[in-house]
Amino acid sequence: MLNINYPKIEKKEFPNLQLNLVEPINKLNLRGKSRDFFTKVGKILSIMLPTESNTSTTIKNISALWLSPDEWMIYGKDIDNNLKLSLETEISKLNIGSVTDVSDQWVLINLDGKNVFEVLSKGSPFDFNKFKNTKNIIIQTLLNHIDVILHHNDTNNIDLFVRKSFSEHLWLWINDSSRFL
Amino acid sequence: MFIITCPFCGERDQSEFSAGGEAHIVRPKQPTELSDDEWADFLFMRKNIKGVQFERWNHAHGCRKWFNVIRDTSNDKIHAVYKMGEKPPQK
Repeated sequence: MLNINYPKIEKKEFPNLQLNLVEPINKLNLRGKSRDFFTKVGKILSIMLPTESNTSTTIKNISALWLSPDEWMIYGKDIDNNLKLSLETEISKLNIGSVTDVSDQWVLINLDGKNVFEVLSKGSPFDFNKFKNTKNIIIQTLLNHIDVILHHNDTNNIDLFVRKSFSEHLWLWINDSSRFL
Repeated sequence: MFIITCPFCGERDQSEFSAGGEAHIVRPKQPTELSDDEWADFLFMRKNIKGVQFERWNHAHGCRKWFNVIRDTSNDKIHAVYKMGEKPPQK
């Protein structure tokens, strides 16, 4: 049976690093290419989906992350059931694109502090040198051999998305790595 | 280990990608008219040359898109990267 409980993640503090579980929070996966799709999403969410690779857009409490040329993830506190229903009726049902609720698929962990990139560099093949100086950048990469989405939303503040089944393992790995900073 | 420039995401480590074999293999228009040997040729026979080779790669741990790479198999030097459906560069 599907385990709907969130992993045992409690707020942790290390020197210049804070780890925090940001759940529950709604996350939607949007896919589409047509002009109609972009117009409808823009009207409903009041946000333009980023078309440039590895970028994101944030307006108020909603962020749109570029995942691939025809795929985005939106998340935020302002995404409620009404918004979700509007997207489904205006996009999915009219076959303009697809809207999938991935709230239970991804777990959001917030990493904050000067040592964020030190921890990430320990287990990722990605070169964070350019990434750490630019805000609103989004990277999909590996961390300790686990797929993650990293959203650099503020200086030294990263929203890390990891699949729920891997989240507890990754959480333990981050904790363990942070001890040796 | 080497760096591959994904046409969508930019420079990434090879560990984020998975190799998809030889590129530009065209499926026969009438498979039913082929002999068993010809069909086996299409399905299984691949060049495995030491030198410049046309390959398909997938950015499995990134944007999950397929693209083509011209790579020298003897030293892993990448000569060109281009999207699916595009023609390979002339030089």
